Amino acid sequence: MDAEAAKFMGAGIAMGVGALGPGLGLGLMIGKALESIARQPEVSGEIRTTMFIGIGVTEAVALYAFVVALILLFVA
Amino acid sequence: MTVPTPQTTSSRSIAGRIIAAAALALLLSALLAGSLASLAAASEPTASESAAPTVAGEPAVGETVEEEFDVAKEFEREVLVALPSVGPVDLSITKGVAYLLITLGVICVGAFAVNRGVKMQPGRFQVMMEAIYSLTRDGIVGSVMKSGQETWFPYIGSAFVFILVSNLVGLIPLPFAEGHQLSFYSATANLNVAIMLALCTFLFTHYAGIRKNGLARYLVNWAPASAPTVLKPPIWAIHAISEIFRLVSLSVRLFANMVAGHAILAVFFAMAVVFQSFLASVVLQGGSTLIYLFEVFVAFIQAFIFAILSAVYIGGALDQDH
Repeated sequence: MDAEAAKFMGAGIAMGVGALGPGLGLGLMIGKALESIARQPEVSGEIRTTMFIGIGVTEAVALYAFVVALILLFVA
Repeated sequence: MTVPTPQTTSSRSIAGRIIAAAALALLLSALLAGSLASLAAASEPTASESAAPTVAGEPAVGETVEEEFDVAKEFEREVLVALPSVGPVDLSITKGVAYLLITLGVICVGAFAVNRGVKMQPGRFQVMMEAIYSLTRDGIVGSVMKSGQETWFPYIGSAFVFILVSNLVGLIPLPFAEGHQLSFYSATANLNVAIMLALCTFLFTHYAGIRKNGLARYLVNWAPASAPTVLKPPIWAIHAISEIFRLVSLSVRLFANMVAGHAILAVFFAMAVVFQSFLASVVLQGGSTLIYLFEVFVAFIQAFIFAILSAVYIGGALDQDH
């Protein structure tokens, strides 16, 4: 396997596997936010704010994988 | 006979109407223009070049595939207007600098516009600006920072407004790519700008902590006093690493969100033309509009997250025993 093919495969695997964790985490977190809003609707504003913070932080991890894939494809 | 109370529409319904109108206008114009273009394109062997906006560096759809989408080109400096250097600082205007100036212009125009004729019964534009102000002051700084709210609200507010305006400017295709092609780009899609913003938060965090607690006590408090003494060095090391990593995470989160958003937008808009099929074009224009609205949402979210994380970090440095 030459270097070019390895780079493409590495980029694909990086992004593919790197999206598993954040996807799972996002689903769990938003599900929990839904449950807690259903339990106590009067704090839904705070819950929504915290959920958005959590979404931003979790999606950043997926974007690290995206950056690694881009580096593999175009810089290395 | 009672005086009728003036019905001021709430800012939320105004925002909802604006978004609905923009979405409808976008969808209709995209459908109309794109259908005409793809009908014309379907009758020709080659797709038109100038119809599809491109990401910087990506050639227009329809050109030969020898030139690839080269993200590494985003990290090269291409000078638009060459100006002389002052010492080691090169003052020439590149694409990033041009977008920074555009962002600055939009913010200044908005700020002056909202300050003219400030009324007690606000008009719609003033309501929107006041909503941004109260969101930053109460929603971000007030709800997260326990102390130092008045000191640090200007920085958090400036960062929020700057990143918000820059992200939104990045959703307007402007002709800055090679050959004056339309492309999506923004100041925050430049890694240097993102690193500078994260560096500001980083420096302010440690400056606030050191000024309040003194350097020695601030550093010692990175391992909380309630931890058992044996565990304090590893906890301190982990905390130090996470503090350094905040630079990377804040900047890369903002940068990668913007770059990925622009790439996705370019791909969707190009897909609507490249298949040279009328049905695919109509479907993909709807998809393009949806993903464009999602990118507007992401623009708001990224600005909000940067601001609130900066507030959390600075607040955490000020009150070190959460």
